[in-house]
Amino acid sequence: MEFSKAVRKDILAVIALVLAMAAIPFAIGFERYYLLILSTATVFAIYVVAWNIIGGYAGQLDLAAFVYSSLGGIVAARLMVYYGITPWIGMFAGAGVAAALAAIIGYPTFRFGIKEVWYALLTASLVVIVREIMHMPEFLGSLDYRLPWKYMGWYWLRFPTYEQLYWVLVAVLGATMLINVWISNSKIGYYLKAIREDELAAEALGVDVRKYKLIALVTYAAILGFAGYLHISLNGVYTYKNFDSAQSIAVAIMGIIGGLGSIAGAFTSAITLKIVGEYLRSSFGAVIPGLHLLIYGILLIVVGIFKPEGLASVIEWFKKKVGWGGEG
Amino acid sequence: MIDPALITNNLIDGVLMGLLYSLVALGLSLVFGLMDIINFAHGDFVMIAAYTTWVIAMMLYVDPSVTAIITVPLFFVIGLAIYKIIIEPILGAEPLIQIAVTVGLGYVLQNLALAYFRAGPRSFPAPWFNYSIQIGPIGIAVSKLIAAAVSLASLFIINYMLVNTKFGLAVRATSANREVAPLMGINVRKVFAITFGLGIALTALGAALYMMWGQTNPYLGQSFSLLSWVIVAMGGLGGVMGVLYSGLIVGVLEALGSTFVSPSARLAVVYLAFFFILWFRPRGLFGRR
Repeated sequence: MEFSKAVRKDILAVIALVLAMAAIPFAIGFERYYLLILSTATVFAIYVVAWNIIGGYAGQLDLAAFVYSSLGGIVAARLMVYYGITPWIGMFAGAGVAAALAAIIGYPTFRFGIKEVWYALLTASLVVIVREIMHMPEFLGSLDYRLPWKYMGWYWLRFPTYEQLYWVLVAVLGATMLINVWISNSKIGYYLKAIREDELAAEALGVDVRKYKLIALVTYAAILGFAGYLHISLNGVYTYKNFDSAQSIAVAIMGIIGGLGSIAGAFTSAITLKIVGEYLRSSFGAVIPGLHLLIYGILLIVVGIFKPEGLASVIEWFKKKVGWGGEG
Repeated sequence: MIDPALITNNLIDGVLMGLLYSLVALGLSLVFGLMDIINFAHGDFVMIAAYTTWVIAMMLYVDPSVTAIITVPLFFVIGLAIYKIIIEPILGAEPLIQIAVTVGLGYVLQNLALAYFRAGPRSFPAPWFNYSIQIGPIGIAVSKLIAAAVSLASLFIINYMLVNTKFGLAVRATSANREVAPLMGINVRKVFAITFGLGIALTALGAALYMMWGQTNPYLGQSFSLLSWVIVAMGGLGGVMGVLYSGLIVGVLEALGSTFVSPSARLAVVYLAFFFILWFRPRGLFGRR
């Protein structure tokens, strides 16, 4: 395949970032607590970079991230526990189920021209619907399901220490970023950005708005469904509570703070907010519970009112200043 | 076979709750219809108002419904302040930005409540209307009856105000055409500010009524926000009556879901109905625009 110079630079930047992230466990001496925080932040980075496809490029405020990720993750976990199927296959099954749900929801939604606030509301209520269905005794009920200890090792993608899973997560993050780079520089990406800027104008110029929105939604859902198992494997537990409204909104918030359509912004904001949030929670959680969320809230208001382009504009400025090539 | 008395009981409960939902959603509908502001923090004002109600009720040791005399004017002023600080800068901004800013506002309100009151639920221990009217096998909770009656009366008062007063005329003129209204001598900013204040004041009234039997926690607002938006979507900017009918539909759907599916899945029924209404009637059931 022929790549333009800008795309080559982006791909190199992603590879450099993946290598640098993979080296972090050595730098911090495999400290378990730090690795757990780092892994959780990487999970969120995957979600937010994937969200960038539907939220950033296509401009649809999707608030259902944890529906797709939890559904895909639970499918993979169930296949493993009930049928002894390795998550290496199960994760693809999970991605397929999440993508199918996205297609079932997305087709009529885009067909009937649901957008903006109504799309956000639809996806926000999707989280509640799926959680309440999963809460029924026929599905998950009120139980916490633990992944059994006998499934350990690379075959099951479950490890007694965190670093192996962290490396898998970093690889998935790299792949997600490459998908973003590819979409951003392909016809699909140009169409999606056109839809985001002015849907009517894009449609008038012959862009099949429904089709490309659906492609964006299904891609996003598939990535989340794929990565969902890794999140469950990290926590070792799944319940109906995994279908979490607040976390889903947090993914969108990180994407907005990062700046719509910026891969570097999405990555930076997810990693920073998650690590800072975890630090604040561990330091002040007992004194001021919810301090990190309070700060997210203030950040959102400030970014929304004063800097709607988000962190990406700061990164742009930094790039110009030092001539540093980023991946955005 | 499900007991008919149980169904009747649940349906009555649904209608009464539906009226309260209408009252809460009315403020959102007015604000969205008038100034196109997408407020995702609407329910969080109900939550903050519920805590305020609880604090005042505990201090004076009166029924929460009585505290509305204090909280409604207080929240009108809070609404004006929020409008000045947060809403005015995002007037006319992209929907995504408005959603982001108001979600942020909701986060701030939720976590201020969490930091101050902690996560435990709070309710008033000695409500005055803690009994029910029994008609054979059917019981009606008096507190909910009062809440529904006050909600219905408030809806009619607001409707009367919108139709018959000078302020109502200004609101209707501004929502019909924001560019021409100022040319007719209407102070649009003032109309916006007062309407937003009114919307927040209505959440305080709703919270005072709800606290007659309910309990509050920092996350109470999330379900109120989403339910209010569902009602606004169904009402389709069809004015006060649209909100009233949609609120009743939501209340009854919730009751049916809790009777025939399962009490924990009652919201799933409401939101599934919302999906289909949004897909097939995007302008709402009672819409004009």
